[in-house]
Amino acid sequence: MTNQQLQHLFSPESVAVIGASNSFDKLGYHVMKSLAGNYRGKIIPVNPKGEKVWGIDSYPSLKEVPERVDLAVIVVPAALVAETVHTCGQKGVKGIVLITAGFKEIEDAQGEVREHELRAVADSYGIPVIGPNTFGYVNLTLGINASFTSEFLHIQKGGVALISQSGGMCHLCGFLAIDQRVAMSKLMSLGNRCNVDFPEMLKYLVEADEATKVIALYIEGLDKPRDLMETAASLRGKKPIVAYKAGRSEKGDSASRFHTGSLAGDHEIWTGALKQAGMLQVESAEELLDTAKALDACVLPLGPRVAVLSGQAGPGMVASDALEPAGLQLARFTPATQEKINSLLPPIAIRTNPVDMGPAWYNPKAMLEILQAAVKDESTDGVIFLAMYASANLKLAEELEKYMKDLEPFPKPVVACFTAPPNIWDESVRRLDRKKGMVILATPERCAKAMSNLWKARLLWGGER
Amino acid sequence: MEKVLLGVEALTFLEKEGFPVLKAGLANDPDKAASVASALGFPVALKISSPDVIHKTEEGGVRVFLTREEEVRQTFQDLVKGFRLHSPGKRLDGVMVQHMGTGLELIVGSLMDPQFGPVLLFGLGGIFAEAMKDVSFRLIPIEPRDAREMIEDLRSSQVLTNPRGARIDLTAIEQFLLQVSRLIVEHGEIQEMDLNPVFASSRGTEICDARIKIDQA
Repeated sequence: MTNQQLQHLFSPESVAVIGASNSFDKLGYHVMKSLAGNYRGKIIPVNPKGEKVWGIDSYPSLKEVPERVDLAVIVVPAALVAETVHTCGQKGVKGIVLITAGFKEIEDAQGEVREHELRAVADSYGIPVIGPNTFGYVNLTLGINASFTSEFLHIQKGGVALISQSGGMCHLCGFLAIDQRVAMSKLMSLGNRCNVDFPEMLKYLVEADEATKVIALYIEGLDKPRDLMETAASLRGKKPIVAYKAGRSEKGDSASRFHTGSLAGDHEIWTGALKQAGMLQVESAEELLDTAKALDACVLPLGPRVAVLSGQAGPGMVASDALEPAGLQLARFTPATQEKINSLLPPIAIRTNPVDMGPAWYNPKAMLEILQAAVKDESTDGVIFLAMYASANLKLAEELEKYMKDLEPFPKPVVACFTAPPNIWDESVRRLDRKKGMVILATPERCAKAMSNLWKARLLWGGER
Repeated sequence: MEKVLLGVEALTFLEKEGFPVLKAGLANDPDKAASVASALGFPVALKISSPDVIHKTEEGGVRVFLTREEEVRQTFQDLVKGFRLHSPGKRLDGVMVQHMGTGLELIVGSLMDPQFGPVLLFGLGGIFAEAMKDVSFRLIPIEPRDAREMIEDLRSSQVLTNPRGARIDLTAIEQFLLQVSRLIVEHGEIQEMDLNPVFASSRGTEICDARIKIDQA
């Protein structure tokens, strides 16, 4: 599969929905819902009855469509899929999203047979197929939602591409991304990976997809994991790749009479192999999203020394606690920086790192100046910046936004947490997030984790070794 | 057909492949054991050599820190007597006489994973690997960077790197890991291998004991 072929698959000028429907209980209804009114290209519903679908004229079969079809989204029953793909090939379709399930993932041996047949037909025409057994893909860069879940278009447009082996995890991560302002370029489940698998997706996203800055992978298990490792290793350092590998339960071979065999759990080997291939491994969905978001928004730190600045002592303390286990350290300010901070804060709280900015509640400008001083300090490599809402600091987020408008982007990573009840700081936080090299995350502990992963990323991809 | 090389046989193979191994010889009687010990230099260890015993220590088949010929003769007799008593029916090749190794104990191993193919393991010996499961893995072949990171990956890597601990030649460990990786590439017939323990010190690394599973296709 070439980058060019995948480029066509993800940027169609016309989309046929084969199995388009007006009935809510058919997936063809929901795929139409995702496209109609959103997709700017030509939508071509294909429905055996030939009636209007979602108000758009349909064709009883693909053969009867007079114009060119770039992408076909297929939701017909499994038994009809091979024939449908064959028709797509004859029609010159450039890419297929095959939502239909009932292939090698099912217990019935017939599924495996169908999968084999499908692959043979697709390969004979050289058509890339996402799926089968996928919810589809979303290309946020171009506003194309070729999936059965229309709400994915609420995700902000940005630099994170999420490639998943599970549709369910895409739904989890996609909805969390909306809530937590992770901005994405693409989101997709590869399903059964007929002829588009992790290696070709990585190659395409790194080499040919300009909108993608960071790649997040969710992996369950692969027949030939070395292919992925070799591709990732060959792309090392070009774009950050973060991987969440599920399946911890498989242990080593306890029957082995060798120590090596009894110690070699599947997950442990994956951990070594991912690092060897230059991928950053994470351990949860939230860590995957936080890390990808931070990598998209921030520069990488040059070292592990972190300044923690907090509007309240407690959040600063828990962030500081989380630094050392995560391979980071509290920075020690230079005398000049300390003097600057002392000039901005009265001596009624702790002014050394971690700095309690409590006395500056009514003075967001002072907080920003402390942040700038900490960023500028040659003995820091990154800053964690925290502020919790209190009635008295109502204007904090708004004022920060105002003062930050004219700043140059921070030359070091700033990982922030601004937490308030719903609807108070939301608008300002949304506008501050991922701007000027600052990323805003949900808790101080998650800020520390993300900072740690930025540092690990530097060691993996940016180090001099 | 599968074969497991143990003790002297495994060490001889590794030495021929250019690995640093602790000098050893096989003895079938007390006098031979004493003369081998003298030739190797004291202190020595004696180990039961049997194709039927994989875990020698667990079966009471190892005696260490013997410093005189007389002690070696007596220990030889004790070991063989104990073996005959506790393991009737098991074959006995003899007793391995080995120069005592010193330094920190490491475990280095390889296996053939059904998905990943050849995989390399590294860890500190003894309870670190077995009880703490503090080991690191890489796919074979590895590069110098991987060798270094396998050491750093251990939760207890400071045991190796802490300057206040015993001085350990880390470069020698890295070279050793690379050498094992090359061995597995060159010998596709090796299905699984434990080099355990390998002694690491300021003087480099030395393999003390090994078992190697070979697929004789």
